[in-house]
Amino acid sequence: MDRLWFMRIGDYAPIEDYAVIGDGRTAALVARDGSIDWLCLPNFDSPSVFARVLDAERGGAFELLPTIPFESSRRYLPRTNVLETLFTTDRGAVRVVDALTLPNDRLDPMRELIRAIEGVSGSVPMRWRVSPRFKYAASLPRCEWRHGIPVAASGAEAVAIAHWDAGSPVWRAGAVEAEFDIAAGARACLALAAAYAEPLVIPSRAAVEARLAQTIRFWEEWCRAREYRGPWSELVERSALVLKLLIFAPSGASVAAPTTSLPEDIGGERNWDYRFCWIRDSNFIISALLQLGCHREARSQFWWFMQATALTEPELHVLYRLDGGIGIDEHDIALEGYRGSRPVRVGNGALEQTQHDIYGDLLETAWLYSEGHHALDGDTGEVLGRIANRVGEIWRQPDSGIWEVRNGPFHFTHSKVMCWVALDRAVRLAERGELPSRHVSRWRREAAAIRAFVDEQCWSPQLCSYTRTAGSNDVDASLLMISLMQFDDPRGERVAGTIDAVCRLLQAGDFVFRYLADDGVPGGEGCFVNGSFWLVSALARAGRIAEASQLMERLCRRANDVGLYAEEIDPGSGAFLGNFPQALVHLALIDAAIAIRDAS
Amino acid sequence: MTVVWSAIAGGFLGTLVLTTIVRATSELGLTRMDLALLLGTTVTENRRKARAIGYAIHFVVGPIFALGYAALFVALGHHSWWMGGLFGALHAVFTGTVLANVILPLVHPRIATTDTAANEVSLIEPPGFLMRNYGPNTFLIALVAHVAFGAIVGWAVRI
Repeated sequence: MDRLWFMRIGDYAPIEDYAVIGDGRTAALVARDGSIDWLCLPNFDSPSVFARVLDAERGGAFELLPTIPFESSRRYLPRTNVLETLFTTDRGAVRVVDALTLPNDRLDPMRELIRAIEGVSGSVPMRWRVSPRFKYAASLPRCEWRHGIPVAASGAEAVAIAHWDAGSPVWRAGAVEAEFDIAAGARACLALAAAYAEPLVIPSRAAVEARLAQTIRFWEEWCRAREYRGPWSELVERSALVLKLLIFAPSGASVAAPTTSLPEDIGGERNWDYRFCWIRDSNFIISALLQLGCHREARSQFWWFMQATALTEPELHVLYRLDGGIGIDEHDIALEGYRGSRPVRVGNGALEQTQHDIYGDLLETAWLYSEGHHALDGDTGEVLGRIANRVGEIWRQPDSGIWEVRNGPFHFTHSKVMCWVALDRAVRLAERGELPSRHVSRWRREAAAIRAFVDEQCWSPQLCSYTRTAGSNDVDASLLMISLMQFDDPRGERVAGTIDAVCRLLQAGDFVFRYLADDGVPGGEGCFVNGSFWLVSALARAGRIAEASQLMERLCRRANDVGLYAEEIDPGSGAFLGNFPQALVHLALIDAAIAIRDAS
Repeated sequence: MTVVWSAIAGGFLGTLVLTTIVRATSELGLTRMDLALLLGTTVTENRRKARAIGYAIHFVVGPIFALGYAALFVALGHHSWWMGGLFGALHAVFTGTVLANVILPLVHPRIATTDTAANEVSLIEPPGFLMRNYGPNTFLIALVAHVAFGAIVGWAVRI
């Protein structure tokens, strides 16, 4: 474990000082000082109960820390999503184990957050304070007792804080708090039991301890069953655990990140809600799941994509709710925002945009799924055929592209390439008999037209690179996908030139900016961590393995102390920016590690 | 026999409406009352099974209560939807003050009472007086739902 001093900036913990725990239904962010600053109940996309990360004063949190100066270090228990924080003080050390537990067939709470406290040495005075603020801190809860158990409720939501050997709690100003001493060898426990639209289940200590042990065992066994053998196995394993944690088990959808409005620019307004499932992520998810041997999750994920898109096909929406719905209105909520970064948004306005690349992502997903020895049924084949036909009709139109720019539409090269991917994969699947073959000649004709358009309109002889948009003279990180998607020879001159142009124009140290052009949103942003791993993959596929390995090595050192990444990073300070942890970054890490392994 | 069958049919329909009102208001965030979970956990700890069993129990108990209503109608020699609604209101008050508040915790193996501490088995939060532990609106919802139940039974019964 690394031992690091903890520090908050104006009551806000640095984003890289968080770790995530989850149960496949929701997730919590745990700060290095033991404060749980983000938790939505009962699901990822439900309103928050703890949102201190977005409003230090009003958001609500579950604090648990020594009352005297301390330093803390932490790790995940090996091969689990269960977090262990070690607080070291002048009077001794104490270990806190945090987990969102997995249900069993017994009478367990609807959601349960356990904090087990073990005295390691000496005797340490501890304090805990739970300030539930339901519905994004819209109002104070009713604070009550049920036979000695503190209960907070508001509308259909309620939480109980069961406690054992952890002091005598009292309600004070909408928060329940207590102090206690923990000596070496002693064990105390706190369990937050949550209910939505049902009575609370107040757990017994024996049941809590049993569920914690069972949760640890589940993660260990799940992790042991993964099939990755290769370099950077520890970070690939952590990324796989993050990916599993971010899959919303009730539907099979994968949430892009469990947070909203962690800013891409501190103090700025690039604050988005990522608690949805993007079609764009689908091919990376399926690819990673299949490569890691997660066949059940891959099957569930593929069927979720097909069921969610069934309502809108052959039109696809950019993102869907975790239950597959499409009603996602974007609105602002009255929270201060992380370090004053307003607005805090709930919902995502990108839903209304036209983004053509997602058609390629879905067809690539189907292709990968089929390649993974999962046959497509006839109805799915018909749907995918209709989607391919739709691509043939729309690819000539401009769109908002992968970066969801708000000053478009433009003829993005990446969108054209992904339309080509959609048609190319449709042809391949038809040749395999998994899609109807009656439109194959049309798909081939349109794919050839796209290729000609990209070759002629989206190539800059001056830059010696593909360009961001047709006729422009700049680049963006999405061009790295050209070789990943096999649009062009990964070892060819054009791809090499594009990689060099991206490095020349967008790279800052180890990281890559998404683009430098105006996107219609005020303010700047950090480097896009995803793009850096795409660069690794592109380099590896281009045969530049030493370059790829060295960059990968450096990128892996930029993960936080528990192996997690946010969407973006400040290339100068290394501070994390944007929503955290982001699934796509961890998916790109897995892809990069596999690309280097395979190329080597 | 007409009175029995009409009461059973009315009880079934009334239970359907009552259950729908409670579930809908729960989904709307107005209460945390969950009749199926409360009834089903008398039999099993398994949440999924509990809900299924709970709904089954409720649809058996509903017509039995309707037979009780019918007996009162026969004794009084009169029945109407409004009289049924009045019985439903009394039923709701009894449930909120005695049945759910006192008797249910005593007989339910998994609901906490003032005598139990949550250190042995997982326990369901007790409903409390007028079931207010499940939200301040809960009694009002129960009242409306039971009045609807009684009115349907009063309308359906044939003496």
